Amino acid sequence: MNTSLLAGAVLNGMVTGMLYALMGVGLSLILGLLNIPNFAHGVLYALGAYVMISGAKAFGFLGGLLAAIAAVAVIGAGIEYLGVRRLYRVHPDYILLLSFGLSLILTEAIILVWGPVGITFQPPALLAGAVDLGVTVYPKYRLVVMVFTAGLVLACYLVVTRTRYGAILRAGIEDKETAAALGINIGRVFTLTFAAGTGLAGLGGALMTPVRGLLPTMGIDILPFAFVVVVLGGLGSLPGAILAGLLVGTVQSLMTAIWAPGADASVFVLMTLGIIARPQGLLGQR
Amino acid sequence: MAEEDAGFASGVRACGGLGAFEAPSRSMKSAFPRLVLLLAAIVALPLAVRPVVASEIWIFAIAGMALNLIFGYTGMLSFGQATFFGLAAYTAGLMMIHWQAPLLVVLAAGTLVGALAAALIGYVCIQRVGTYFIMLTFGFNQMFFFIAYKWTVVTGGDDGLPGIPRPPLALGPLAIRLDSSLRYYIFVAAVFLLAFCVMKRIVDSPLGVIFQSIRENPVRAAAVGYDVKRYKWIAFTIAGAFTGFAGVLYSMMFGIVPLESISWIISGDIVFMVLIGGIGNLYGPLLGAAAFKWLSEAISVVWERWPLILGVALVLVVLFLRGGLVEAFTRLRDAAGGPRARREPGASVPVGIAAETEAGS
Amino acid sequence: MSDGALLRTDELTCDFGALRAVNRVSLSVKAGTLHSVIGPNGSGKTTLFNLVSGEIPPTGGRVYFEGRDVTGLPSHRLPHLGLGRSFQRTNVFAKLTVYENVWAAAFARRPHGALSFLRRASEFSDVDAGVRRILGEVGLTHKLVARAETLSHGQQRALEVGVSLASSPRLLLLDEPTQGLAPEATQQMTRLVQSLVGRYTILLIEHKMRIVMSISDRISVMAFGELIAEGTPAEVRDNPDVQRAYLGARR
Repeated sequence: MNTSLLAGAVLNGMVTGMLYALMGVGLSLILGLLNIPNFAHGVLYALGAYVMISGAKAFGFLGGLLAAIAAVAVIGAGIEYLGVRRLYRVHPDYILLLSFGLSLILTEAIILVWGPVGITFQPPALLAGAVDLGVTVYPKYRLVVMVFTAGLVLACYLVVTRTRYGAILRAGIEDKETAAALGINIGRVFTLTFAAGTGLAGLGGALMTPVRGLLPTMGIDILPFAFVVVVLGGLGSLPGAILAGLLVGTVQSLMTAIWAPGADASVFVLMTLGIIARPQGLLGQR
Repeated sequence: MAEEDAGFASGVRACGGLGAFEAPSRSMKSAFPRLVLLLAAIVALPLAVRPVVASEIWIFAIAGMALNLIFGYTGMLSFGQATFFGLAAYTAGLMMIHWQAPLLVVLAAGTLVGALAAALIGYVCIQRVGTYFIMLTFGFNQMFFFIAYKWTVVTGGDDGLPGIPRPPLALGPLAIRLDSSLRYYIFVAAVFLLAFCVMKRIVDSPLGVIFQSIRENPVRAAAVGYDVKRYKWIAFTIAGAFTGFAGVLYSMMFGIVPLESISWIISGDIVFMVLIGGIGNLYGPLLGAAAFKWLSEAISVVWERWPLILGVALVLVVLFLRGGLVEAFTRLRDAAGGPRARREPGASVPVGIAAETEAGS
Repeated sequence: MSDGALLRTDELTCDFGALRAVNRVSLSVKAGTLHSVIGPNGSGKTTLFNLVSGEIPPTGGRVYFEGRDVTGLPSHRLPHLGLGRSFQRTNVFAKLTVYENVWAAAFARRPHGALSFLRRASEFSDVDAGVRRILGEVGLTHKLVARAETLSHGQQRALEVGVSLASSPRLLLLDEPTQGLAPEATQQMTRLVQSLVGRYTILLIEHKMRIVMSISDRISVMAFGELIAEGTPAEVRDNPDVQRAYLGARR
């Protein structure tokens, strides 16, 4: 395989990796709260993409992005407030099942609104075209998205670890009752965080539209990979999700270049090996 | 004590499905009407729906009972049962295509494959609990799905594995052909009854109490002397065997093993059925499978987007009726009044003691 | 078994990171006696129990039961060696009936090969007899069919003890059996514990001084994770260190 191809694969891996890291961060935030994998995370990613293209038609690229974030975050908040909240005191498995049911509903809703056929989307003119990196030529949009997502992920990490909100969130995860007793409106924090986590998924979907195109099943397709990222990174660890996201993205991309049929399965082999070798995940606690 | 989840509890208790300690005479008395009902359902079903759909109902009822064992009784939610369903289906299919293997052999082989796969995968997954466990079962399912998807030489990939015969049932000198849908239905219903009896036996045995104690309080279960991981592994493996058995039956339904057999869709469907039917109750998966298949048949012809209805149904059950159909029936029966209405919800009757009405303290 | 000690701990230590919850505790419990462990809140009594019963592995020291080194064994092994334990916060099988709660514990101790799982649970008449006997002893016969979570607090504490008895232990670790009980229920529980003396060796954690003083053969006093005194009730009561540790907490 020539260097150009390899370089391209590595760059693709980083783009995908950044997306996976973003999905992982959002999922990790929610996982830390609810202790349950959010099965609706994939479909909210898809929803972000679809709202994006409709929004872009009306308001341009940036407008589409904002519409996507807003729509998904609002829906996420609604899910938490109307559904998840009722189930906190019941068995956590039911929250998972709720999210699973919602993922079905929303997937079908997407088909109803936007149709079952795949859609492609062009990046805005400003970001279109390719950049000559010497070793290879690479689409400008992907580079921009890679950098932007990296910054976003870093910002999330800083917010959770360095801000007051982050401290409250971590306290609430640790011990809901005590946090509430201290006067913190823990309910509001949870709703906000759920909205933020899902909003990140929606943003990821929106950003990736020129890169990956749109399909109603795109949410279901990406969900297992987001899960692998979180499991591999260590449940509840944001830096773990970021690291694992990059790792998974890179592995998948390289395998696609080397032996495409094994690309997807290799991700799960990686997960299995990772769990066996290090049960708490790369950066998880135990 | 934590807020009581009446849904979960009533699902776990209604219909006496967990009457491990019912006195033999009493249990016969209460089991008899239910058994008659079950037989009646088996006979009546092909009259209500097409034999093909009816067969599918019993096949998924078996898979549902398996999930119920690990989720309802032992408290482990597996979102990857299709792994064992599909692996067994493909194994059986390949054996029948390439070796013309007889019916009973492929049934045994598929069950064994399901059990073995569950033993291996289960061993890894059992090391974790809760979220981790669920995601691991899901992850393994995805892994095998992708392998089946890409290994087209063996599995046919997206197109499925076609050309699967339906070998006759060879019982000594007899060779009963199962060609027609109705004949196959009778066979499926018969083996379902067998599977049901075995499952009932398992939950009535000490294993039933042990599994439940693990679900209720794994720390205490260990403190009284049970190796919790080992029993979880046993439950998971048994469930894998049952699911594999169902997978083999499925492989012979349409003459083809579709890729879907090993996909998360089937895993999700099985979870649905158990939840909608009524979790923790022996009859729940049966009701759930029937409701699920009948609904999907009825609605999918009318509306292609029927999974949306499914999703709505799931959300409603999760929020408002966690005991599923079993709970719905119990509530109706209690509302209608009657001698059992005043019986304390959740009492099972130990050996030799007449049913007591407890007002609760 | 050295000098009749059924249980012996040797410099038992437990660290949670930088916090030393149990600091080199050495005590020994004579067979057939009721040995109490007392101390202010947070002195490490329950942690000590957890170390002995295998819930937490110690970071130092050893535990000997009937002369055998059982340090660090997982909790599910201990009942089979003859050690039973009750918990301070009621820790029963909430949605199972009272009968099933005790049955589960009783069956665990029965040697069972794979074949025993082919029989109905109700066919084990020996287990059934044992369960009924225990339920009679703890006074819960009339609640046989009730789900554990529907019991009153006092009944749950009784069930808590019943479950630990079902393991047919030789050594019984009772962690504050009277926790949260009203005076009359406390008396009932005390009578129950007293009825167990002699048949079982008991290691008891208790806060209610009058009970401790009246029924214990020996008392060990803990404070800040350390053993600060040990002796007969009279010796302990007159011990200035103990009085200091308890300043005003005596009842």
